[in-house]
Amino acid sequence: MTLSLRRAASERRARTRAATLSKKTRRTKLLTDLGLAVLSLTVLFPFYLVLVTALKSDNRVSENPLGLPDVWHWGVFRQAWDQGHFGSYFMNSVYVVVPVVLAVLAGSLMAAYAFATMRFRGRGILFAILVAGLTIPLEIIVTPLFYEMLHLGLLDTLWALILPQIAINLPFGVLLLRAFIGDLPRDLMDAGRMDGCGQFRLLTRVVLPLCRPALLSLLVFTFMWTWNQFLLPLIMVQSDSVRTLPIGLSYFQGRYVSELPLMMAGVTITFLPIMVVYLFFQRQIIRGITTGAGK
Amino acid sequence: MAERFSVGTVRRRRRASRVHGVGSRLGGGVSPYLYLLPAFAVYGAFFLLPLYRIVEYSFLKWDGYSKQKWVGFANYERLAHDPLFWRAFRHNMVWMGAGITVPTIIGLGLAILLVRQPMHGRTYYRAVFFLPQVLASIVVAIVWQWIYSPSSGALDAVLRDVGLGRFQEAWLGSTTWALPAIFVAWAWTAYGLSMVIFIAALQSVDEEYFEAAKIDGASRLQQLRHVLLPFVRRPMTVVILVNAIGALQVFDLVFVITNGGPANATLVLSVYVYQNVFQILDVGYGSANAVALAIAIVLASMFFLRLRGMAERNA
Repeated sequence: MTLSLRRAASERRARTRAATLSKKTRRTKLLTDLGLAVLSLTVLFPFYLVLVTALKSDNRVSENPLGLPDVWHWGVFRQAWDQGHFGSYFMNSVYVVVPVVLAVLAGSLMAAYAFATMRFRGRGILFAILVAGLTIPLEIIVTPLFYEMLHLGLLDTLWALILPQIAINLPFGVLLLRAFIGDLPRDLMDAGRMDGCGQFRLLTRVVLPLCRPALLSLLVFTFMWTWNQFLLPLIMVQSDSVRTLPIGLSYFQGRYVSELPLMMAGVTITFLPIMVVYLFFQRQIIRGITTGAGK
Repeated sequence: MAERFSVGTVRRRRRASRVHGVGSRLGGGVSPYLYLLPAFAVYGAFFLLPLYRIVEYSFLKWDGYSKQKWVGFANYERLAHDPLFWRAFRHNMVWMGAGITVPTIIGLGLAILLVRQPMHGRTYYRAVFFLPQVLASIVVAIVWQWIYSPSSGALDAVLRDVGLGRFQEAWLGSTTWALPAIFVAWAWTAYGLSMVIFIAALQSVDEEYFEAAKIDGASRLQQLRHVLLPFVRRPMTVVILVNAIGALQVFDLVFVITNGGPANATLVLSVYVYQNVFQILDVGYGSANAVALAIAIVLASMFFLRLRGMAERNA
């Protein structure tokens, strides 16, 4: 056993040496590097195209779709923001995302706290009902939601986008936070109780600070899903003044097919915030996915 | 503090705290329900109620405005004989078949390369390949629609530039190519997720297993099959489940790029539901389609979860 381990270790050392020496290894390495580089370009190329097209003047797009612009029209972003109404779409997206994220964080934390630490009648059934929400997509319930909003008089308002998105994001939040709170050390909570904390104080003083990493993951996911939501505003919103970015973009596409640069500027305004969030919170996103997949 | 309680209370309390640690005093009272109330109020009103209503609607003849009329199972009978429904269903099935294989294989291949090969820029590649996953579907739709567009589109321009001009095509206008073309756009966003899940699994495989296999004279392929595969079996079932459900509920890309056309060549169930409810205003029939789609999703989830259970027992 020890012998084979030692042999394995020396093998490994030999392999690292071989990686720098052997011709064959070097060739495979070169090939994989080349393949990966090409593949990563196919991902990045569309982004390049979007940016470069936004900055070209109209008539240069069809003449030279792939190359760099000869004059860089940075003013196109200002034009999209004002004339293209993307400024208003952007603000509507913010007005929807902020309350949805806050409500999902607060609602899931409270429910997850109860599910993870308290004992009560119907706990199992209530949890199952909530988690069932993960399997049914929005496409299924959007028809009755439309008529519900019609009766509530909320159609064509931001409320019709906020309330359902809180509902569809809660199941994931409760599932994630319940698992996290369940894994917290019991001693800490018992200690808090000894110090005379009530349940609510225990939640705000002990559990909430400990949950910060899980809450951050939940925040990032809810932000992304809500920012990108397309179907709900498609159904719920008519007026230009309540459109969010994705739906504003799709109407823009219908109206000004010819103004490609302006539309690509709108595409950039839509994906830029998500890109920034992704670059900053990549680790949280990937960790959230891999822990979720393990469960 | 304990003096204020009877012995029985204390005993009960101790038992409760042994099981769950916290929440003994109010454990049987209203308190837990107060904590659940905000979540369940919103979830009940804007998820459970519509879910109940969609089933109710599916038994109605209703245009959304005039009086509702109860028609029993008539909508479902019509659905069973509707060639468009079955065409949409078939497209979803084909999409699911391709959806559980193509992104899975690409994701696994990339994960093996990125974990097993000594190389630079691993984090860069992981970040780039996952990137399409976080984009808004409308952005993906617009970009790919434009890549596929005839004359000014990037795909035809590239084909022209490398001398393959005779393969140019009006990709989205063709009944043969439109569905595969949209699938490619979808797969472009999907394989990054598979890759990330596989990478996490592969990183947990101990290097010693490979060394041992190598000493036993296993070829590279045999190493992959006998050492690596057992470790990816479990994440593989997760990836397949996610992609299968994703394939059944696909809407945004198809709706924006072709809205089911040309000549229903890209019609999928969710788009058919939308057309019936919001364009033809046949709410009852559209709802029956939505219920059928929901049943398909639940059945598929159960099937793939069971597959996962089997994979775990064998592991």
